[in-house]
Amino acid sequence: MVKRMVMKPLTWIERILFIDFIRGLSVTIRHAFSKTITTHYPYEKLTPPKRFRGFFGHKVVDGNEPQPAFDEWVERFNIQVEYGRSRCVVCLLCKKACPVPQLFEIEGRKLENGKRVVSVFNMNLMLCTFCGFCVDACPVDCLFQSDIHETASYTRRDSILDLETLEKIGRDWQMRREHEPDRIWIDDDQREKLWYENSVRLPEPKVKGRHEW
Amino acid sequence: MESVWVDLLVAVIKILVILGIALGLGAYLTWVERKVAAHIQRRPGPMVVGWHGLLQPIADGLKLITKEDLFPRYGNRFLYNLALVMALVPATLVFAVIPFGPEFEVFGYRVKPILTDVNVGILLVFGLGSLAVYAIALAGWASNSKYPLIGSMRKAGIIISYEVAITFAVMGPLILAGTLSTYQIVQNQIEQNLWYIWVQPVAFVVYMFSLLAETGRVPFDIQEAEAELVTGFTVEYGGMKFGLFPLVEWYIEVLTLSAIAVVLFLGGWSPLNIPFVGFVDPLFFLGPLSPYAWFLLKVTALFLFILWLHWTLPRYRIDQITEIAWKIMLPLALLNIVITSLIAPFIWD
Amino acid sequence: MPWAKEKDLSDLKERFPGIDIKELENSTSVHVPKDKLIDLLKVLKEEKGFRLFLDHSVVDLKDVLEKEKDWRNLSQKGLIAFPEDRVSRFQAFYILYNVDERKKVIVKTRTDGTLPTVERLWFAGKWAERECYDMFGIRYEGHENLVRAFLWETYPYFPLRKDFPLEGIPEQELPSLNEVLFGDPLEGTMNYERRHTLVPTLEDLEITEKKRLKKKAQIVLNWGPLHPGTHGTMWFLFDLEGERIVQCDVILGQLHRGVEKLAEHEMYNQFLVYTDRMDYISALCSNQAWVVAVERMLGIEDVIPEKARYIRTMMSELQRINSHLLWLGTYALDLGALTIFLYAFKEREKIMDILEGITGARLTISYPRVGGVRMDLPEGALEVIKAFIKRFPKELSDWERILTRNRIWLRRNKEVGVITPEEAYYYGVTGPVIRGSGIPYDIRKFEPYDAYPEVEFDVPVGETGDCYDRYLVRIEEMRQSVRIIEQCVEKLEKLPKDAPFFAEIPKDRKIKLTIDGIGLKAPVGEIYSSGENPRGELGFYILSTGGTKPYRVKIRPPSFYNLCIYPRLMKDRVIADAVTVLASIDPVVGETDR
Repeated sequence: MVKRMVMKPLTWIERILFIDFIRGLSVTIRHAFSKTITTHYPYEKLTPPKRFRGFFGHKVVDGNEPQPAFDEWVERFNIQVEYGRSRCVVCLLCKKACPVPQLFEIEGRKLENGKRVVSVFNMNLMLCTFCGFCVDACPVDCLFQSDIHETASYTRRDSILDLETLEKIGRDWQMRREHEPDRIWIDDDQREKLWYENSVRLPEPKVKGRHEW
Repeated sequence: MESVWVDLLVAVIKILVILGIALGLGAYLTWVERKVAAHIQRRPGPMVVGWHGLLQPIADGLKLITKEDLFPRYGNRFLYNLALVMALVPATLVFAVIPFGPEFEVFGYRVKPILTDVNVGILLVFGLGSLAVYAIALAGWASNSKYPLIGSMRKAGIIISYEVAITFAVMGPLILAGTLSTYQIVQNQIEQNLWYIWVQPVAFVVYMFSLLAETGRVPFDIQEAEAELVTGFTVEYGGMKFGLFPLVEWYIEVLTLSAIAVVLFLGGWSPLNIPFVGFVDPLFFLGPLSPYAWFLLKVTALFLFILWLHWTLPRYRIDQITEIAWKIMLPLALLNIVITSLIAPFIWD
Repeated sequence: MPWAKEKDLSDLKERFPGIDIKELENSTSVHVPKDKLIDLLKVLKEEKGFRLFLDHSVVDLKDVLEKEKDWRNLSQKGLIAFPEDRVSRFQAFYILYNVDERKKVIVKTRTDGTLPTVERLWFAGKWAERECYDMFGIRYEGHENLVRAFLWETYPYFPLRKDFPLEGIPEQELPSLNEVLFGDPLEGTMNYERRHTLVPTLEDLEITEKKRLKKKAQIVLNWGPLHPGTHGTMWFLFDLEGERIVQCDVILGQLHRGVEKLAEHEMYNQFLVYTDRMDYISALCSNQAWVVAVERMLGIEDVIPEKARYIRTMMSELQRINSHLLWLGTYALDLGALTIFLYAFKEREKIMDILEGITGARLTISYPRVGGVRMDLPEGALEVIKAFIKRFPKELSDWERILTRNRIWLRRNKEVGVITPEEAYYYGVTGPVIRGSGIPYDIRKFEPYDAYPEVEFDVPVGETGDCYDRYLVRIEEMRQSVRIIEQCVEKLEKLPKDAPFFAEIPKDRKIKLTIDGIGLKAPVGEIYSSGENPRGELGFYILSTGGTKPYRVKIRPPSFYNLCIYPRLMKDRVIADAVTVLASIDPVVGETDR
């Protein structure tokens, strides 16, 4: 279907009485007396949605690993599993899936008992595009993207995440948000400011344990 | 002999009051504009410095003053600085002939709240107004840069076109009042029991258009046109020198020209006028302060209206602006003079 | 797939002996020797009705020539013109479109470094030729002003040739790029290269500028590269007589990142990330166009689950509104109506919120995947979208109240930048720009992909092709997008919650398709597939020799071709119109430069 867009020319009445201006002015004055919608940033902050693709983290072993995938991969690579440490099995799939593989620096270490454990896991976020392919590729739900988005730093070194930082972000995440349901966003006052005029009503979150990836 | 000293003292007090109003208010109008603009755009505007950002103009001023004083290479330093003076002085001088209220008595002296009630007041206003074009032309030329040059030429073109239109537009009220003295024009409106806007709507529209054009407000802000010319003739200015131009153009000039509009069309300090009924004063409870309140109210209303327009409309193109001036505004103003001359004798009675 | 059939073109065989017509599964190509190229193109344009110029570029066959197996595969499939010629290194292709009969054709020829110019037939070809000269070093005989399109004039290499390394040739020391932290040069964890590829100096840029434009009038105004009116980093040169523009040229390339080169070294899914960064205002639409192109190439379009198709359609329509809102805001801003900018951004922010909640990112989204989408919709997504589209038309009519019938708006837009239909073909413009001229060229209707054949919508077209018509077209397009989203939401609500959102390939097809895209192999073949971006037709020409990476990807950037009409439109107009026309063409630099 083709729709022709035609607009009638201005009438003389509209021209002489400035009706076109008055129409516009009526809109702006109505907005002037409506509530403001902005978030006063450094003082107020929005909570990013759970799916937000921010800084990376390593989830740690806490008994909630995706089974049986985790055990299979652990067995396959002969990994020493330690409670409270990264779930990484050094499969390098993240590096393989990454469009800029140079940003990963991953190394495993052999322990005395013959098992392996991840020893180096550096991510240079200066090269990162935050696309999330590595997260998709991770077979054991270890690498993930958190809601940390204020990522400015004073030196380039700070933009390199090492294993400890990744684990820290992961532990923090598992404590804070891991158990949230997979909703588009959580209701907070800041978001309500923008959305109040749409009177959006989200359905009640279904009480659910862990969100399945 | 004594009266000379008293006159001098009164004049100095008046000058201080007016300068205080012009510059202090000018700076604070930036805050008003930012707030108005913000709320029209659904933002709160400045909120951090002071209560609702009330100290923001001072913070801005401090910042601008402490900035490095830049000067374009191969520019002309004398003209570059002269432009600032030429912009600021004529704009503030106009306040000299703006009557703020009726005559009153203090310690037995009769004081007119106007700096100098010269009998060619309106002529002075437009004479000083046309000086502004020099400031802009000089600023553009002395900067030795392409964008300022184009911006200043645009602005000069507009001012020259609209000088003509605005002069013919005010001719209507002047014919009705029969005088050029600003104080007397208001007095005549009060005596004739009539705001001139009721008989001069066309002149008022032409005047408002010219006001917007001369002060570079939307829809005529093409000398700025940040999307085309970045900021036009102020590109090469920095710090407070940069801040001064908008201060003069957008606030002080708008203030003076709105005050003149109030004097010419809206009866100065007189209360609300309804045609065929006369003056109605809902602010009578203010007693002797009521005229000042009215004057302030009218100027504020006009200023806010201009802001409202500014933050609603898009802008014209340079050739369209001059076209409107010569092809629509000027003939309208001339026609208005002819009609006014015909009806004037009826109003003089 | 709307490709010309062999029988349509068979009479050409008699008129041009030596040409060859190949009808493949994904394309129809005419192979023509170089000396008959211009005559053939002329006949195609004037007699066969292939009037719209879509794209022209070159494939460097160096690697194929050296690898016997690839050569055999390609020539067996008929992808190489004149396979008996084992010397000519380049294969040039021209993609033409017949809008009336909705047919496409590829014209291919082989060359060793020179080609005749098609400048007289299509102006758009002139810009495409500049790009080829820049990237491959092809000399065009008879080209009016053969200058580099993106790189500076003194740059010595041709980066898209296969012998140019991906990471460039590091030959310049740039100490300022290296950070030293308290005496520590930050080596170790992640090393920064001390040497850098060539960087233009001021002299280089001056030479580039001088080559572009010979001063004829009073002032040459450098409008950009950094200027609030250019919507990015474009460098315009205006030769001014007073305020009138006597001649104008554009210098592109400030944002050139070599996306096409990168594509040759990325897996099919991973290239998504770069499509985000081409047209960064409408990343989802670019994603979708790429994903659809790859799916068509793999031949798995039929197994994409319904849910994924509808989600992709819905999301890319949201993105279209988002993109048009940015256009509306900046357009109004350029014409002085600042308030509209913030109103538009208010609604845009809501779309951003929705996109962020569903995909996790606001700008560079990478949400679709070859075979479906990355994740299912989260809880509450449809409710939020419904709440948004319920209110959005009201806001839209609010803005229209301010602008559409405003006398200033009318005077600034009417009769400015008029593009006639004939010119639209000549300059190869697409999208709202061609629709503003009255040609209902919309890929969503002409070559529907994803859920577009199943939803109802109108294609708005203008009358005269001036800026005002393009404005009306875009505004109406937003309304139509709302309509599409409504239908998609309705459909998605009906689908069961656990319906699949990612394709499962039947066992017999032997395609390894995973959500992360590791190991996805494409068959030997070529395809030109396009999607309707908010800015026009975004086309991908992919040539694959089998394997996980494409051999050559040519992107047809809508902004690039839309922009090529700009110098023509700006002739004899004033600077104030420069912003109007530029904003109504609405180029995105990430895409023109790639």
